[in-house]
Amino acid sequence: MKSITKAKSRMPARLDLLQSLSGLVLALFMWFHMFFVASILLGADAFDRVAGWMEGSLIFEQTYPVIVSMAAMGVFALFVLHALLALRKFPSSYRQYRTFHDHMKRMGHEDTTLWFVQVFTGFAMFFLGSVHLYIMMTRPDTIGAYGSANRVVSEWMWPLYLLLLLAVELHGSIGLYRLAVKWGFLTGSNPVESRRKLKRAKWGVTVFFLALGLASLAAFIKIGLTQQDHFGQPVLSWASSVPAEHPMLPVPPLGELS
Amino acid sequence: MSTDSPVDSTSLSTSHSSRVASGRRLTFKILRHNPRDPDSHPHMATFELDETPGMTLFIALNAIRDEYAPSLQFDFVCRAGICGSCGMLIDGRPGLACRTLTQTLGEEITLAPLPAFKLIGDLSVDTGQWMRGMSERLETWVHGQQEIDPDRLEERMEPSLAEEIYELDRCIECGCCVAACGTALMREDFVGAVGLNKIARFRLDPRDDRTDADYYELIGDDDGVFGCMTLLGCQDVCPKDLTLQTQIAFLRRRMIATG
Amino acid sequence: MKLVYTDVLVIGGGLAGMRTAIGVKQRGQDVIVLSLVPAKRSHSAAAQGGMQASLGSNAMGRGDNEDVHFGDTVRGSDWGADQQVVRMFTHVAPKAIRELAGWGVPWNRVQKGDRESVINAERVVITESEAAHGLITARDFGGTKKWRTCYTSDGTGHAMLFTLGDQTVANGIPVMERMEALALIHDAGRCYGAIVRDLITGELTAFVSRATVIATGGYGRIYKVSTNGIICEGTGVALALETGRAALGNMEAVQFHPTAIVPAGILTTEGCRGDGGILRDVDGYRFMPDYEPEKKELASRDVVSRRMTEHIRKGKGVKSPYGDHLWLDITVLGRAHVEKNLREVTDICRYFLGIDPAVDWIPVRPTQHYSMGGIRTDHTGQSQTLKGLFACGESACWDMHGFNRLGGNSVAETVVAGMIVAEFIADFCASSASDIDISTSLVRDFLGREQGKLDALMKTSGTESVVAIRKRMEEIMIDKVGIFRTGDELAEAVDELEQLLEKSRHIGVASQEPGANPELVAAYRLPKMLKVALCVALGARERKESRGAHFREDYPQRNDRDWLKRTLATWPDEADSLPHLDYEAIDVMGMEMPPGFRGYGVRNHIDHPDTPERAAEVERVQAEHADADRVELQRALMPFEELLPPRYRGPNQRLEDDTHEH
Repeated sequence: MKSITKAKSRMPARLDLLQSLSGLVLALFMWFHMFFVASILLGADAFDRVAGWMEGSLIFEQTYPVIVSMAAMGVFALFVLHALLALRKFPSSYRQYRTFHDHMKRMGHEDTTLWFVQVFTGFAMFFLGSVHLYIMMTRPDTIGAYGSANRVVSEWMWPLYLLLLLAVELHGSIGLYRLAVKWGFLTGSNPVESRRKLKRAKWGVTVFFLALGLASLAAFIKIGLTQQDHFGQPVLSWASSVPAEHPMLPVPPLGELS
Repeated sequence: MSTDSPVDSTSLSTSHSSRVASGRRLTFKILRHNPRDPDSHPHMATFELDETPGMTLFIALNAIRDEYAPSLQFDFVCRAGICGSCGMLIDGRPGLACRTLTQTLGEEITLAPLPAFKLIGDLSVDTGQWMRGMSERLETWVHGQQEIDPDRLEERMEPSLAEEIYELDRCIECGCCVAACGTALMREDFVGAVGLNKIARFRLDPRDDRTDADYYELIGDDDGVFGCMTLLGCQDVCPKDLTLQTQIAFLRRRMIATG
Repeated sequence: MKLVYTDVLVIGGGLAGMRTAIGVKQRGQDVIVLSLVPAKRSHSAAAQGGMQASLGSNAMGRGDNEDVHFGDTVRGSDWGADQQVVRMFTHVAPKAIRELAGWGVPWNRVQKGDRESVINAERVVITESEAAHGLITARDFGGTKKWRTCYTSDGTGHAMLFTLGDQTVANGIPVMERMEALALIHDAGRCYGAIVRDLITGELTAFVSRATVIATGGYGRIYKVSTNGIICEGTGVALALETGRAALGNMEAVQFHPTAIVPAGILTTEGCRGDGGILRDVDGYRFMPDYEPEKKELASRDVVSRRMTEHIRKGKGVKSPYGDHLWLDITVLGRAHVEKNLREVTDICRYFLGIDPAVDWIPVRPTQHYSMGGIRTDHTGQSQTLKGLFACGESACWDMHGFNRLGGNSVAETVVAGMIVAEFIADFCASSASDIDISTSLVRDFLGREQGKLDALMKTSGTESVVAIRKRMEEIMIDKVGIFRTGDELAEAVDELEQLLEKSRHIGVASQEPGANPELVAAYRLPKMLKVALCVALGARERKESRGAHFREDYPQRNDRDWLKRTLATWPDEADSLPHLDYEAIDVMGMEMPPGFRGYGVRNHIDHPDTPERAAEVERVQAEHADADRVELQRALMPFEELLPPRYRGPNQRLEDDTHEH
């Protein structure tokens, strides 16, 4: 075999690494993201302050929603890249899908089933995540506490966010766990025992972020419901046309939502 | 090859420490099919046996063949968990039948041939051809340049290294890891944990002159190490408790470093 | 007619078969290996403990050489072995192990410095030298003066088999799996290949070859309780027997291993005792020192097995529903040692007994283990009466084991015989003696005959049950042709086996399924197994002495005067109900080591009339060569080197040679 044959393409190695890296960045991003969103639990002011940071308030004297727009674009690009890379691993035909599904059912093996959960949630995020990211890119100015709350309630986005939350938290934590065992990180001298611990940690992380996410969503819904009485109209048209006429709202809603 | 071997089975049972009178009546549901027979269609055949103390699936299957189904096909050789002939799906999970005690299973036991391999008949599959193909493809032998002079003292080797190599050399090619791998089932060209473990074994062996670049040629693609999706079915069913998870992770890092 | 031609046809894909195949292939001959099962599943894989070769690198093996190995092997054989063959074997064993090391077997190595070990149930410290660090190490086994058994943990056979399996792939040797030879093609004392059945499709093919090698292992499965894999049914040696020409040698020499677990009959390696494990009785008492004060648990296998049986007969066995047993205690070795060096044993105890051998004693009893007998060959591995037929490994009576084989010598024999016999086969194939001048009609006849037999089994509605006959045969063998034998029981055994053989001619096969058809397989194997069983039983009935593993209670003495000879069994006519027995004298005057006391067991034998004369001659030669080195002395006593293929004649280097000559 030695060097007689043409050297094999290095692309599979790069794609494999890139898939893992993009997943890692997205998962870590989602952790930060969730903490920021959860600031709503400390009140709308706290949330808006965090949102302001996102728009550059710490650096500039005023806020620039375009920063959020661009960040969202970056995330979206990474998201698309990750999705494309992950697609390589999806069942590519119904026959493959059936084979895997039957195998999973038959064997009742946790990590195998978790992979299917990842495929399923990943697939769901194509749509759910895209919608959310599109809004973040196009309407960065509507992501303050009250704008977000209105989107959640009045614009009927809460079912989408609920599903997205579930998908993200499952997909992300399973993905991080799999990254660790895939590359042999954090596996120490006793990989079997470490894997057990990682698995436990994985479920802990899932539960923690789901709880945080659900609580935050509830907080938005609560705010959204109170606003519904005041405005009774889609927040987008309100936000774009008449923000100043409503003194109870802070000027441009900032930040972003889960 | 499966042979009719009632040997041991009449008297065979378990140890002094776990001799429990069970009194259970076991129901075996066995996936039967003879691809050579145009009239045969895959179906579950049901057999009942009284459980004897210390009964293994080796004993049970031989009893079923002796008493009820003389044409039932299955494979055993060593019946001691050493040769890897008797891999099958035991209640859906790949395992070695010879060393599976029925007392560890429920009253209804489902047996099916290992997927991923060509079916010979009933519980017998052609793992041998698959493994030979893998071996040819991955060149699973020591590639040394040096001529061996058997009259002279052998090359020295660190004792700990010899033991490490043996750890990876313990694979019995039973095929359980392949049958437990969702990736291998979906993509039949995937080398499976058995193949990757072989590469890890030869990579560790100083007598093999191949470099990581050479190994990249063998496993540096999506049919090789990058095809592994870390489902870890292999790790969890390996009858020899090989460190498959660790070996594959290690190879992945090495191959990325090479690529 | 499906016909395949090859230079060399190797029947059997274990260690012996694969090493032979590699050897002839490297000499430029085309070779095909046939195997009942995927070759790496062969029973060679189950050899746990190790392979003897006198490397002498480790501290407890220092001073070892071919001479010591030779002496141990001949004593172990109870002087039944062919001493020239033993010499060939001990000379090539170090080369075999070093070749395998080069091919990748991860032999355990010497670790310099102090290490704790258990000898005679006491902890001792062994100091390994700096100079030996990293060389192949060895452990203690029964019947040996030095620690000579090289090993890879307790998966030696597995590691060797996989390495050779990989080498057959590297050499591009076709290994046809699930193929069963049904008959040899032969005419006028010359073998031309075999009729082979595909165990997937059920089709027959004629394989025509210049040289045919049988390397099919032992025949343990004619016994009810055996450590052998279930494919070790003796059908390979039956192929030779059924030619009516080739002879089977010493079939009554059947070894019982002292420590198979009860009741499954799965082996726990001799390494358990070699590493310091001891045997205990119902009272927890260590009884072996009472019987064998010097070697204790590490006397040769035949002796330990008999002593255990004797002790059980005294009522000292542990009662169980499966008969009495004794205990093997390896708890003295400590958990670390047990879990690392005796891992297969740990696994077996866990899965088949549900115990932890680091704390629990293991229930064991002697169980059929090894077949010293087999196809009788000369030193080249060729049958003396059927040219072109070769045999090696356990299926052969080459005859390096005589009436008892030492632990670690069987794995060694497989590869050593494979190396040596391969050279002779290659020579044979390169000569005009191997030319084939048969007509295809002969091949067609053999093919038709075998197909006819199968068709007859499928069509006749026989009344006899394969399962019932087979179970009865197994019981007869264990009950009446076991460790302790008597003339009366052996006569009963022969009679009943004869009846069973007659019955086996009236079996029918109900299942008409296409393909391998396991019921048909069992049916056509049964008469072959019965014939082999009859060779064992009749040979044992006729041999009115005790030698090695063959122990007659009615003739407890080893009788060199009347029985220093090999039993040769043939089956001249298919219609016969018993084998024909002949004897081949073993020449005392040619022996390097004239018959004497083994150093263990009972000192109780009748000398051969030539023994005193030869003993005096040996003493004289020794005195004459008092100043000569050991090689010269050996040459003067019994030259053997010219019997070896030229490439294996060179001296074996050892660590201590660096300080002396080389």
